[in-house]
Amino acid sequence: MKKFLNDPVNFVDEMLEGIYRAHSEVTFAADDMRCMVTSKPKTGKVGIATGGGSGHLPLFLGYVGDGMLDGAAVGGVFQSPSSEQMYQVTKAIDQGAGVLYIYGNYSGDIINFDMAAELADLDGIQVKQCVGNDDVASSKVGEEHKRRGVAGIYFVYKAAGAAAAEGLSLDEVHRIAEKARLRTRTMGVALSSCVVPEIGHATFSIGEDEMEIGMGIHGEPGISRKKLGSADAVIDEMMERIFAEQDYKSGDDVAVLVNGLGGTPLEELYILFRRVAHLLEGRGVNAKHVWVGEFATSMEMAGASVSILHLDAELDRLVSAPANTPFFKHFSA
Amino acid sequence: MDVLTASDLIRLFDAWKQLFAEQREFLIALDGKVGDSDLGITMSKSFAAAAEAVAAEGGAAGISKLLRTAGATMARTAPSTMGTLTATGFLRASKAVETATALGTAEMAAFWIAYRDGIAERGKAKVGDKTIIDVLDPAARTLEQQAAAEASLSTALTAAATAAEDALENTKTMVAQHGKAAAFQEKTVGLQDAGATVGALLFRKLSDFVASA
Repeated sequence: MKKFLNDPVNFVDEMLEGIYRAHSEVTFAADDMRCMVTSKPKTGKVGIATGGGSGHLPLFLGYVGDGMLDGAAVGGVFQSPSSEQMYQVTKAIDQGAGVLYIYGNYSGDIINFDMAAELADLDGIQVKQCVGNDDVASSKVGEEHKRRGVAGIYFVYKAAGAAAAEGLSLDEVHRIAEKARLRTRTMGVALSSCVVPEIGHATFSIGEDEMEIGMGIHGEPGISRKKLGSADAVIDEMMERIFAEQDYKSGDDVAVLVNGLGGTPLEELYILFRRVAHLLEGRGVNAKHVWVGEFATSMEMAGASVSILHLDAELDRLVSAPANTPFFKHFSA
Repeated sequence: MDVLTASDLIRLFDAWKQLFAEQREFLIALDGKVGDSDLGITMSKSFAAAAEAVAAEGGAAGISKLLRTAGATMARTAPSTMGTLTATGFLRASKAVETATALGTAEMAAFWIAYRDGIAERGKAKVGDKTIIDVLDPAARTLEQQAAAEASLSTALTAAATAAEDALENTKTMVAQHGKAAAFQEKTVGLQDAGATVGALLFRKLSDFVASA
C-alpha cells in the first residue's frame, strides 16, 4: 500500500476535517463531522439527503450544495453510516417541506435509512426514498431490485436537486427522482483493485493484462474477467448491454456520464467517451449533455463506468439547471 | 399480575437490562461462531440505554410513549443491525398499543405481532431463514391464540415463552440466510441462531416478570 496517511484509523475523520477547512459552504450537524449539511439552507424547500460509505469522493459529500443536495451522512470506508447519523442530517435539513433520501441499493444503507425515516416520522418529518439501482451488470432484467447503485445516482441527484430548487413539493421531487432512476443505466469496468486503508492491501487481485467487466464500486465481482481489449472494444461491449436495456430511438436525447473510478487518467476517459459518442451517433441518439470526470470513485481503483440517462423534456430541463457544490459546478447554457 | 401498567413496563425494561448484562458473554460467544461477536455488546448496551431512558421519562408518559422512547433510544445507542431491528420492534409495538393504558393478553398479543412484523419488514426476513423471526413468530401466534381463548396474561406469557424456547431449539436444524452468518451456510446447521436466542431470552424474562409480580 502506498498512500498519504497518518494513522489509517483516522482516514475518514482527517479527510472530513480537510473538506470542512477548505469549503465553508458546508458544515455538520449534531457535533458529528460525518453528518454534513449545507451552510445555506433554503426556507420551505424540500430537503434532499444522501449517504453511504466513505471512499467514493466526490460521492456522497461532494454533492451537498445549491441545486443539488442538502445533507449527506458518511460511514467508514465502504461502511454504512448509522441510522442516528442519517436521522440527525434529516432533522437538520428539514425546512417543513419534508425530506427525500436518495442512496444506493446496499442492504446496510437500506436498513439504516429506513430506521432514520422511522425516527424522523416520529418527529413529524415526512420522508420519501429513492434507492439507486443503475448497475446493469449486477442483476438481470426482471430483477432490477437486486441491482447495485453506482455512478448513475449522479443523474438522480441532479434532476431531484434541481426540482427541489424550483420549489416543487416532496411528492413531485420524489416522482422526478424515481423517473431519473428508472431511466438511468450504468456499466462499469475495473482494471485494478482498490485498497481500504485500514486493511492495507488490495481487496482483490487481477492480472496485469486483465479487466473485469461489471465490477462493483467496492470490488464486488463482475460478470466477466478477461484479457483487456482495446478502448473501443471495451466500450462496444459495455454499451451493447446498456442499449439492450431501453428503447433508445433515433432522435432521442440522452445525458452521458463517463466516470473514472479513481486511478484512471482523464485522457483515457475521453478516449472512452469518443467511442460512446460514435455509437450514439450511429443510432441517431443525441448526446445532449455530457460529463466526463470523477463522479463516483472506488479509492484508487483503475477503471471507468458509463452512465446513460434517457432524457425527456422535464429531465432535460432539470439536468440543465445550475448547481454549485464544493465538488461540482454547473452553469446554465 | 393481570395487566402490565406503564410503571410495570419501566421495571420490565430494568429486568431486561439485567438479563442482557448477565447474558453478554454468552451472546458474544454464540455470535462469535458465525457472526462478528458484537451481539452481546449490542444487546447489553441498547437495553441499558433504553431502561435508563424509560425510567427517566416515568410512568406518567404512558405505555405507548415509553415504548417509543425505548425504541428511539436503542436506535441511537446501538447502530448495528440487531440493535436497529430490536429498536424497530419497540417502535412498531408502540404504535400497536397507542391507546392502551395497560397491557392485558390481547394488547400483549398486538404488541408482539407488531414487533415481529416490524423486524421481518426491516430485516427482510421470513420464517425459516434462521433469524429472530423464527422465535418471534410462534411466540406472537401463541399469544394471539391465548388472547382468543381469553387466557390470563401470566398463562398466555408462560405458553409464549415455552413456544419461543421450542422454536429456538428448532433453529438448530435451519441454514442461515441473513447477515454475516449467511456466508457460513451449511456450517450453521446444529447451531442455535444468536438473534433467535435473544428472542427466546426476551420472552422468558417477560413471562417470569409477570408471573413473579
